[in-house]
Amino acid sequence: MFKRVFKRGVFYRTGVILLLQAIWLFCALSARADDDVIRADMLRLAHADPAVRREAVTALARTGDQRLEEFLESYRMGSIYIWKDRPVLCEKTVMDEEMNELAPLSDPLTRRPLMNNGRQVVVPVEELTGISPTRRERRLAGRAKFLLRLSSPDAGMRLSGAKKAGDPPGITEAAGLLMKLSENDPDRKVRYTARESLLLLRLNERATEDRLAAVRELGEMKSMRALPRLRELLREVTGGDPEAGGLAARPLRTARGLVRSHGAPAPDSAEHVYRQAIRKIEIHQGFVDYFGSMFQGFSLGSILILMGLGLAITFGLMGVINMAHGELMMIGAYTTFEIQRLVGHTPDNPSDWYYVLALPAAFLSSALAGYLIEVLVVRHLYRRPVESLLATWGVGLILIQLVRLRYGDNIGVNAPSWARGGIEIMQDIVLPYGRCFIIALCAFCVLLIYYLMKRTGLGLRMRATMQNRDMAASLGVNTGRVDRYTFAFGSGIAGIAGYAWTLIGGVTPDMGQTNFIVDSFLVVVTGGVGELLGVVFSGLGIGVLTKVLEPAAIGSFTVGAIWAKVLLLLVIVTFIQFKPAGLFAPRGRLADE
Amino acid sequence: MIRTERFSAIKALTGLLPALVMALALVFAGRVHAAEKVKIGVLHSLSGTMAISETSLRDVVLMAVEEINASGGVLGRQIEPVVVDPASNWPLFAEKAKELITKEKVAVTFGCWTSVSRKSVLPVFEQYNALLFYPVQYEGEEQSLNVFYTGATPNQQLIPAARYMMDELGMKKFYLLGTDYVFPRTANKVLKAYLKSRGVPDENIIEEYTPFHHQDYQTIVARIKKFGASGDACVLSTINGDSNVPFYKEFANQGLTADDIPIMAFSVAEDELRAMDVPPLVGHLAAWNYFQSIDTPENRKFVKNFKEYCKRNNLPGGYNRVTDDPIEAAYFGVYVWKAAVEKAGSFDVDKVRQAVYGLEFDAPGGRKKMHENNQHTLKPVYIGEIMKNGQFRIIYKTKGLVSPEPYSRYLHPDGNIPEPTGGPKKK
Repeated sequence: MFKRVFKRGVFYRTGVILLLQAIWLFCALSARADDDVIRADMLRLAHADPAVRREAVTALARTGDQRLEEFLESYRMGSIYIWKDRPVLCEKTVMDEEMNELAPLSDPLTRRPLMNNGRQVVVPVEELTGISPTRRERRLAGRAKFLLRLSSPDAGMRLSGAKKAGDPPGITEAAGLLMKLSENDPDRKVRYTARESLLLLRLNERATEDRLAAVRELGEMKSMRALPRLRELLREVTGGDPEAGGLAARPLRTARGLVRSHGAPAPDSAEHVYRQAIRKIEIHQGFVDYFGSMFQGFSLGSILILMGLGLAITFGLMGVINMAHGELMMIGAYTTFEIQRLVGHTPDNPSDWYYVLALPAAFLSSALAGYLIEVLVVRHLYRRPVESLLATWGVGLILIQLVRLRYGDNIGVNAPSWARGGIEIMQDIVLPYGRCFIIALCAFCVLLIYYLMKRTGLGLRMRATMQNRDMAASLGVNTGRVDRYTFAFGSGIAGIAGYAWTLIGGVTPDMGQTNFIVDSFLVVVTGGVGELLGVVFSGLGIGVLTKVLEPAAIGSFTVGAIWAKVLLLLVIVTFIQFKPAGLFAPRGRLADE
Repeated sequence: MIRTERFSAIKALTGLLPALVMALALVFAGRVHAAEKVKIGVLHSLSGTMAISETSLRDVVLMAVEEINASGGVLGRQIEPVVVDPASNWPLFAEKAKELITKEKVAVTFGCWTSVSRKSVLPVFEQYNALLFYPVQYEGEEQSLNVFYTGATPNQQLIPAARYMMDELGMKKFYLLGTDYVFPRTANKVLKAYLKSRGVPDENIIEEYTPFHHQDYQTIVARIKKFGASGDACVLSTINGDSNVPFYKEFANQGLTADDIPIMAFSVAEDELRAMDVPPLVGHLAAWNYFQSIDTPENRKFVKNFKEYCKRNNLPGGYNRVTDDPIEAAYFGVYVWKAAVEKAGSFDVDKVRQAVYGLEFDAPGGRKKMHENNQHTLKPVYIGEIMKNGQFRIIYKTKGLVSPEPYSRYLHPDGNIPEPTGGPKKK
């Protein structure tokens, strides 16, 4: 039974492959004939009549031959010439010994050098006639590129074409293709966008009924792209903009006499239709904004938690004011870079698994650095917090300069290709993969620490040492060793934060001081020193609060990034005034210290 | 009693100290003179925030010095560069400048990147009538006879870029996004005035600033997305430094491409691109007066020399280093100074200044000229599109050189501009 299914599968697959090959062969053969048609159209680009030239650009785009995208670009740049009644491509000229300017020629369609007796054809520049497009033609060529993309085999390309076709000033020639795409395209997003663009084009129709039908449907589709245009049209209808003419100038059949009335617009008046559509889209937009802010808040929160977790261990539990915490994150980020280099991951030649390898590497290298800092510096300063602050600050500076000497200031971590872009979970709500990954990583780290602290012997010893060192020592715990491991573990978590950071931010030697250290302490202090759970809640709280504040608008004033930060700090300072111990104040013996 | 004694001891010591320093300086100066070397100052941050950009300028100035010394020096004298590190600390810039001028007695100084550092050293250069070559594009609204500006003025970068967005790409809405300090604020003032003069209504312009080192661009990108949903919007970005990386990453991750909303950047050059994950940036734009991709034999040679210089001296990055606009401007600044000194036949600041005016010279990016009387440089304007390899494809170039306007006509429509400051001491 299984065997038969298997065999049938093979049979079908071979059949499909054969069929595809036949189609390909057919296309290859027929392409030859088409190429001549295309070249003829190219020649018309040099026609004296501008109307013919514009017609030629559109005709080229209609062919749907994807090779033409590069051609149109060359045309825009003025690299296409006519030579002996045929179009040629020459991107740059060369000089010979006698300073004559020579032009090596290529075929404009295939972009392969024109050959003659095994050598590229090179002619004096004087033999070429330039086709230099006017500004209007350059813009047309720019749009034609998108018209061309509508027939691309790649869904991303089709999407980009479908979108641009509806953007102002609109590619009216695309209407037919858009209609086809909106019905038959295998990709849902392409279908939606093609339909949306088609309707946007119809907003320019002269007949009111058609236009209003388009408005109604755009409202149903909750098209955010249509919103600015609809508002503009509504202004014209209500006469908000008397100079605009348009609808206000010609009274509508459906709304004669009602257009300018002061009361509510009649249910089937143009104004009503517009208002209805705008309202629907605005409700949708409000929802998208709200959901977006929440996600952004959680994402920022997860980053803050990751930053704070390590510090919650070294500062919160051990009481070391570790100013080199940011540098430990930096080490994690640079380890990620180093792994990327060793694996040889580049954008052109991605080896995405480097990023998997970099996670333990970042943890281990930062943990090792933390271990060394503990052994060499911090160990001697446990009873002197101020000195430990200064000493770790100094260690941080040394680390920054070491990294700067080794790597310089400019390095780039290339995100693995799966972390690029995002998933559209609902219409207009895109969740970037990178941020989703960080949220997951953050949750993993929190659980890991929780497990380690509460469920393992090492965690038990850690807690015992932190709560009462002498008692723990007298019970046989090697407190010195526990200190070292705890500090190294906290540092390793910082390394993971730096590793995650490379997905969304830049990597520089002083990133710890400029980006991390203040925020980390903010999170830990607000959360309550000594409580891991506090970090989770304060991180999320600060994240969400920032993202709610930032887009908030009071009249025409938008709070924005700068004021959001100011307000946030004010809120935290006030909060600390009333609850000096933070969200989760430590209880019991620890609180007495 | 004891107190006064100790006090006088300190006093005696402080009295002695300058004398000691002077004696040392004399000995040192004597030795330098014997070698017939002429000192020049290099005032770029090698640590702190700005090190990311300024270190390359130090490297290229030292390369120019090495080249000049190898070909016989200036007026027969070898150049001795004095490199100091003002550590991205603006008051320290003034201190170090003073040190270079009064203690090291440099003939000229090459330095500064941020406008605030330039504003900080300006009084020092004017007080001692010394000379500074400033190599970075800036916001204008300044003209000191003690500075030669080899970077662009607003009309050599901002206006052509905005015009390109309007006329070539048909953009109607503009999101002006910048880091919160003097260059973006003034640049956006100029841009706004220009856009309004072209009839762009207020509601089609948004101006927004973020603090230095801002890292979370989620909200801003969401706002840009909403603003640009209609499909005829672009971003004019004056974001500086390390904020660019998270901004572009977020932009791409929220699904926006250069086809949807193009970003025209005024502070992102090849050197900054080295620190970025380039694929999401492909197709976005930047406006400069030089690109590494300028395809001339002179420029290819310059790029190669710089790479080899970095490799030979074991500088971080080595052969992977790139050139960009400020690097070219810093490089040709040294040669402009050399040519002026040779034309004047003297290292005297006032004579050199006169010789600089109207000077024509060959820079790696092509022939350029110093302005006849306004301290700035005539340069061509290029607009480039970011390619996958971190280089720019030049898609637009002005015909010929654009004359500098330090005081933008869009901010001074009446043509009343202040007199230049500084210059020779009035007696």
